Amino acid sequence: MDFLTTYIVLAEIYVLLGLSTNLLVGIVGIFSVSQAAVFGVGAYLTAFLLMHTALPFPVAVLLAAAFCVGLNILVTLPSLRVSGDYFVVTSFGIQLLATAVFTNWTGGTGGANGLPGVPAPLILGHEFTEPTEFIALTTIGMALGCLCFWLMMRAPFGALLRAIREDELAVAALGKSVLGAKVSAAALAGAFAGSAGGLYATFLSFVDPSSFDLDASIFLLTMVVVGGARTLAGSVLGPFVLLALPQILALIDIPTSIAAAARQLIYGLLLIVFMLFRPQGLLGEKL
Amino acid sequence: MTAYLQVTGLNKRFGGLQALRDCSFTVGQGRITCLVGPNGAGKTTIFNAITGFLVPDTGHVEFQGRSLDGQSPQQIVHHGIARTFQNLRLFADLTARDNVLAGMQDHVGEGPLGAIFRPFHTARALAAKQDAAMAVLAHVGLQDRASALVRNLSYGEQKLLCIARILATGAELLLLDEPTSGLSGAALTEVMALLRRLQAEGKTLLVVEHNTRVVQQIADDVLFLHHGHLLAHGSPAEIIADPKLAEIYFGGTL
Amino acid sequence: MLWLNLLINGLVWGCALGMVAVSFSLIFATTRFFHVAHAAVYGLGGYVSWSALKHGLPEWAALLVGIVVCGLAGAAIQKLLYERLDRRGATHLVILIASLGLSAVMQNGIAAIYTSNVLQYGLPWGNRTTIIGGALLTNTQMLTVVFGILSYLGAMWFAHRTVLGKRMRAVASNPFLAEITRLQPRQVHIAVMAIGSALVCIPGVLVPLDLGLQPFGGVPILLTATIAVIAGGVGSISGAFVLALVIAVLQNLSLLVMPGEWSIGITFGIFVIFMLFRPRGLFTG
Ligand SMILES: Nc1ncnc2c1ncn2[C@@H]1O[C@H](COP(=O)(O)OP(=O)(O)OP(=O)(O)O)[C@@H](O)[C@H]1O
Ligand SMILES: [Mg+2]
Repeated sequence: MDFLTTYIVLAEIYVLLGLSTNLLVGIVGIFSVSQAAVFGVGAYLTAFLLMHTALPFPVAVLLAAAFCVGLNILVTLPSLRVSGDYFVVTSFGIQLLATAVFTNWTGGTGGANGLPGVPAPLILGHEFTEPTEFIALTTIGMALGCLCFWLMMRAPFGALLRAIREDELAVAALGKSVLGAKVSAAALAGAFAGSAGGLYATFLSFVDPSSFDLDASIFLLTMVVVGGARTLAGSVLGPFVLLALPQILALIDIPTSIAAAARQLIYGLLLIVFMLFRPQGLLGEKL
Repeated sequence: MTAYLQVTGLNKRFGGLQALRDCSFTVGQGRITCLVGPNGAGKTTIFNAITGFLVPDTGHVEFQGRSLDGQSPQQIVHHGIARTFQNLRLFADLTARDNVLAGMQDHVGEGPLGAIFRPFHTARALAAKQDAAMAVLAHVGLQDRASALVRNLSYGEQKLLCIARILATGAELLLLDEPTSGLSGAALTEVMALLRRLQAEGKTLLVVEHNTRVVQQIADDVLFLHHGHLLAHGSPAEIIADPKLAEIYFGGTL
Repeated sequence: MLWLNLLINGLVWGCALGMVAVSFSLIFATTRFFHVAHAAVYGLGGYVSWSALKHGLPEWAALLVGIVVCGLAGAAIQKLLYERLDRRGATHLVILIASLGLSAVMQNGIAAIYTSNVLQYGLPWGNRTTIIGGALLTNTQMLTVVFGILSYLGAMWFAHRTVLGKRMRAVASNPFLAEITRLQPRQVHIAVMAIGSALVCIPGVLVPLDLGLQPFGGVPILLTATIAVIAGGVGSISGAFVLALVIAVLQNLSLLVMPGEWSIGITFGIFVIFMLFRPRGLFTG
């Protein structure tokens, strides 16, 4: 497979995930470390629908995204009751719970072996099998995601979310529904993550739990933090930078046995360095 | 005749502390009522109880004959009551104009669906709201600071912005928690003038105020709170003339 | 008598979990942000002691080396990372992200050095058994119980009887006041991080005696312990320890009705529901 094409397709999918994470963590200030779990549910569900039903690809992805909307609202709800530092524990728990389901529910998810053979997207009789063709799909997906994000942030909705992040009580004192706004944000974040999952599953034609574990959630966070929290530009830049990193690492001579650990280590280091010296990331605003 | 705002028998305990003890009072429409009392008397607690931030142990609040019991802060605003906070609680990373915008009760474009699927409508609505926000800012004299971030405003400007923000909600009854504290000179005069202007426009004000000079100048009625209990109410002259109250206020013990 | 065995296993596991919970409780109650990297410190303790053992140190000395290294690591983390962030006015979100990053760095650092395969201590005495009151206990299990109870009592003594412990509780109950009085919260934070980190080394060694060492083993354990800390009421050492015992026993008894790989999922499921309805913990007002 062509490296550059694969890189672009994956980065574009991760832009959607970046938008999802940025919306919750950066803009509303809900500290979620379980976006990879929602991403995973979108991927598994799309895979399942395409393998076991005759639904066309767009419908399958839409259904998966809709399911993730509900799911993300549900997993974000505790943040309405508990403050940030407590919610993060809940969020960790949700991520571990999801990993447990992905790995152990052999009947539905294929367990640790995953689900191979996810059919390629079929739209209007055309099958998107080649990465070069797939780029069209992911580019459209990414563009739509970015457009939605941009429109929202420009609208009073964006200002409301930013206000909530700063002071929920003050927002309530102005007669605004904090609950409503948070639920809306969670719904959108779920839709972004779910459709990213659908694209991911069909592009790789294979899903397994390792793409949706805690490390994956931390990776999403790293993307947002490095690219820059709270801005569209940051969410787009982050994935392209971070997915290029393994390619660069491949040029350095690291034994394959520790390559994965080295990569995660570097992501962790990036988190620390950016928090210490540049909390606004490359193109973002101060967290 | 029912009073404009009627507060009856409020009680609130925080652990061992009786923050409010059988508080009853009324606020007359179109008047400026000052709530005074030493630190920790329970003034802010009364505000919290009226605006739904705190559920009193017992007691009722009625506004224009309608009960506010059990309503959320959000619902209270829809009744036409808005409050400021003693510690301001402005959105520091937003511009002055966006702070005011956040107070507007026209909810167009505040949901994601409208924002995404009706972008042009939302943009027009936003422009209209921004104009309205500018008008509110002009009303309090902050029109030149509209696009400044709140963190860059002076303290006096922030105090004015707090009032602008709740004016944007269109509320008729304004609860102001220490709008003049920390101000002096021109800034103080400006806020006092604004309060009188608001009264002239028909707003009703309940104001927590420490400065007796300010109370004398702006208040129609004064409520004197001590240890969570309403000790006295009357005209500013009556309250200030009472040596017992002055002793509590300045001497501090009872 | 399967259930009796499970009950005993639960209590033993609860003592290990209780040590993690107590150590985390000390830190969390004082600093008030979620120090995720505590999971990595737990892992660090196990690996350092393992290395010391392999270099020929006796068991007790190896444990001691681990404890000292963890304590120093905790102090360093506070001094070099959290305190710096705090001085720059970082929000809890920023500190948390940094802590996540540190956790990733430490755990993957360990994985890069020791590989991510399971390592065994291979101490023959660990699996020898004794019968106590009808129940069969390995030496490791007995050690875990003894250390668990000692840690709990030690933490209680520290928090309520020592000057530093009293300062810690004062800082925890009112950080702002502590700042303007002479309590010197920054020093207290460093000391508490050092003590909590040193303490977590003990379960970090004892648990792997049975299960073997894994670089990433600390995260689920820390999270379960955190559940105990929160459910027990933040700041209550007894609450944390008791809840750790309860959770561990329930997790073990649940094996009677469902397979083990689900137990962590169930624990968190219950916790999420719990947070929705009783977010301030069982033992608080
Ligand atoms: N949420 C709360 N929990 C516990 N105690 C509270 C709470 N809110 C207020 N109190 C206590 O109730 C008492 C009254 O507080 P309140 O803030 O109403 O006083 P105040 O009259 O506004 O004083 P100040 O002039 O200092 O603003 C104080 O002793 C305060 O410590
Ligand atoms: Mg007050």
